[in-house]
Amino acid sequence: MNKGTQLTLVLVLLGLFYLFYEGLWGNPRHIPTVLIGTDAPMVEGPDVETGEIISLEQFKGKVVLLNFWASWCYECKVEHESVLELHRLFKDNPNFVMLGVNYQDKLPDAQQYLKEYGTTFAHMRDLKGQLAIDYGVYGVPETFVIDQQGKIRYKYVGPVTGHMYTKITQEIIAPLLKGQPVSTAS
Amino acid sequence: MIIEIGHFSVTIALVLSVFGMASAALALKTRNADWARSGRMAVTLIFVLLGVGMLALVYSFIVRDFSVLYVANNSNSKLPFFYTVSAVWGGHEGSLLLWVFILSVFSTLAVWLHWRTQPTIMPYLIGVECAIIFGFLCLIVFLSSPFERLLPVPLEGKDLNPLLQDPAMVMHPPMLYMGYVGFSIPFSFAMAALFSGRLGEEWIKVTQRWTTFAWMCLTTGILLGGYWAYYELGWGGYWGWDPVENASFMPWLVGTAYLHSVLVQEKRKMFKVWNLFLIIVTFSLSLIGTFLVRSGVLTSVHSFATDPERGLYILIFVGSVIGIAFGALILRSTKLKSQVEMDSFVSRESIFLFNNLFFLVAAATVFLGTLYPLILETLNGAKVTVGPPYYNAVFMPIALGLLFLMGIGPYIPWRKASVANLKKSFSIPLLAGAVMVVILAITGIRNLYALAGTYVVAFSGMAIVMDFSKISQLYAQRNSSNIFKGCLTAFTANQRRYAAMLTHIGVLVLVIGIIASTIYQTEKVVSMKVGDEMSIGDYRMKLTNIHDVEGGNWKAEEGVFQVFEEETLITELRPQKRIYNATQTPTTESAIYAINMGHIFLTMPEVSPEGVAVARGVLNPLILWVWGGGIIMGLGVILNILRPRKREE
Repeated sequence: MNKGTQLTLVLVLLGLFYLFYEGLWGNPRHIPTVLIGTDAPMVEGPDVETGEIISLEQFKGKVVLLNFWASWCYECKVEHESVLELHRLFKDNPNFVMLGVNYQDKLPDAQQYLKEYGTTFAHMRDLKGQLAIDYGVYGVPETFVIDQQGKIRYKYVGPVTGHMYTKITQEIIAPLLKGQPVSTAS
Repeated sequence: MIIEIGHFSVTIALVLSVFGMASAALALKTRNADWARSGRMAVTLIFVLLGVGMLALVYSFIVRDFSVLYVANNSNSKLPFFYTVSAVWGGHEGSLLLWVFILSVFSTLAVWLHWRTQPTIMPYLIGVECAIIFGFLCLIVFLSSPFERLLPVPLEGKDLNPLLQDPAMVMHPPMLYMGYVGFSIPFSFAMAALFSGRLGEEWIKVTQRWTTFAWMCLTTGILLGGYWAYYELGWGGYWGWDPVENASFMPWLVGTAYLHSVLVQEKRKMFKVWNLFLIIVTFSLSLIGTFLVRSGVLTSVHSFATDPERGLYILIFVGSVIGIAFGALILRSTKLKSQVEMDSFVSRESIFLFNNLFFLVAAATVFLGTLYPLILETLNGAKVTVGPPYYNAVFMPIALGLLFLMGIGPYIPWRKASVANLKKSFSIPLLAGAVMVVILAITGIRNLYALAGTYVVAFSGMAIVMDFSKISQLYAQRNSSNIFKGCLTAFTANQRRYAAMLTHIGVLVLVIGIIASTIYQTEKVVSMKVGDEMSIGDYRMKLTNIHDVEGGNWKAEEGVFQVFEEETLITELRPQKRIYNATQTPTTESAIYAINMGHIFLTMPEVSPEGVAVARGVLNPLILWVWGGGIIMGLGVILNILRPRKREE
């Protein structure tokens, strides 16, 4: 082993030690999406009820809330009421748009679901889960908030109820509509 | 009372490990064999005491003594007996105890088995093993004891994590640990060689069976883990490149490289520093794996507790072992120079060199992918996850290269191969590969990896068959016996070589299974009501009923699916969505039907209150080859270890 190899070996070992030491103090469970702060993928898809193409492009300049759901998902039913409530709260603001994305579902089931539970906003079909891939969706329900510049500002995995509802409405959407910065930690 | 006896025994074992180190040092200093004998006694007693500790813990689990914190946290009065025993290593504290217990078993065996033949090495071996035992026992006694009492005594335990209530999980951790810990024996011998300056081939020869055994245990442990993930986690895959899986795969990769490169040192006295380096890296990765899993540094599907203080201790300990080992290697390496230079690049030694490079690059790839999130987070606070696409893209070509080398290495001569020689050995295997690829292409298979994979598998497989049939014919001719007898004599006369070839065949079978079940997997997720049907591949599945069932410690909704091939009913599958009573944790229990060497795999991850079930059907062609290949590999290794001693030594 020559001096160069020896030195490299020592440096690699020290580097690893430092890395592991630093790693001990982090919280590995905390995973914000890599997409936060990046441009939201401008996806499009047919409307669940009418079949007309909805494109995210047409809402540029507005605050958009994207909610991924499926008729077979129990947690989506849990959050349904508060999602409708959230829409009621902001729907009069011309700068706010809310869109559902129906994920890996059967069309009749999705339509039946919306009929049964009611809806006040439009939903895109993503029957094969392709839009979800663009957004790196782990599972439904999952909610994204996109700002006026078209950048993803917030993401939450799980039902938007209780304290998450308060957080998303008061700390994310309301400030964004006023043009204020928001904390991106999820 | 019993648990206190356990606690006491383990504490005494800790004291004895210090005594063991001291005796080893004194034996070296005074050259007095009595000190070495005391050290041997210390190692043996540590084994006995840790055995008592294990038994005390097992006993507390069996009698469900919830006044013991660890028992209360990891079992429950309704937990089936079978899992009550395996719950001993279901949590952090118990699994550490199991780790160090296995270490003490191996140390004792090594000390007694090699006592007569390796007297000068013994003090070093005792010292190193006692030092590792000491490090782990400090952790157990001072920071994570499984013997702590809980007051007031709860009426009921919290239950073992339901995902671990599974037959494969009973054996997975012990096998994995036997693999990790097994490498400590060649590691200790290597350290002994470094400290004593006896850097010849001796330590390699002595530890060959240990290494093979450790490798077998690690392989079995990894495969069992994959098998568990396959049917228990419900995503229909057996390998997800999860950090904890990677933690066991990295020492496997470097260990495999080591297993091969020692052959070069045995036969050609080359690669001396390299082999020392490899075994140190292998054991270091075993320790780092334990650290990664136990400290919670990395995100993983394995939900282990995170505790920075404990993590820091393990880091310091693991860092010291690795630091000392590499320090010794660096100091000694100047003295070590292969006396032999490589004669030609077209030779067995050079193939082994490439084999080693490929394995190390593979390990580095996995290492980088596993640590990349941590590196990035330390540098700029960003969080990323590195997923299967990275590993598949980078790892696949390396794996193909290794398989190709596997077809060349054993059949190319040492020193230098001639062109005629190469032609004779490899033209038919090369042709066999090409023929297989053409056949597959005609049947409509176009996937590049499938074709490339088939090529190398056919090539390597044919090389093995040709070599073995040639030798068998020679033996049959010489003994004027029939070819079957010839095969048998050829095998027994060269058991080390052909047992290894059997392992290679196992690898090939496994690879075919992996290729088919990865590339040609079909999957469908459908929500269904009773009476609905879904079709997947050539099969139709009809949901005929959803009903409630109950086990000892769980309740479940069970879907009854009739599976048809065309119009014939072939089986009934009953996947479950279980809720374990004590923890209210849901699990999905898959239902599997084996057909044509593959699986129809069905899970039911969701059932809505309205009776709509989400069914997930997966067709995994040839998946049985994955497990079958594993069994053949194991068989090869067992035949290798059990080969008669005299014939070659």
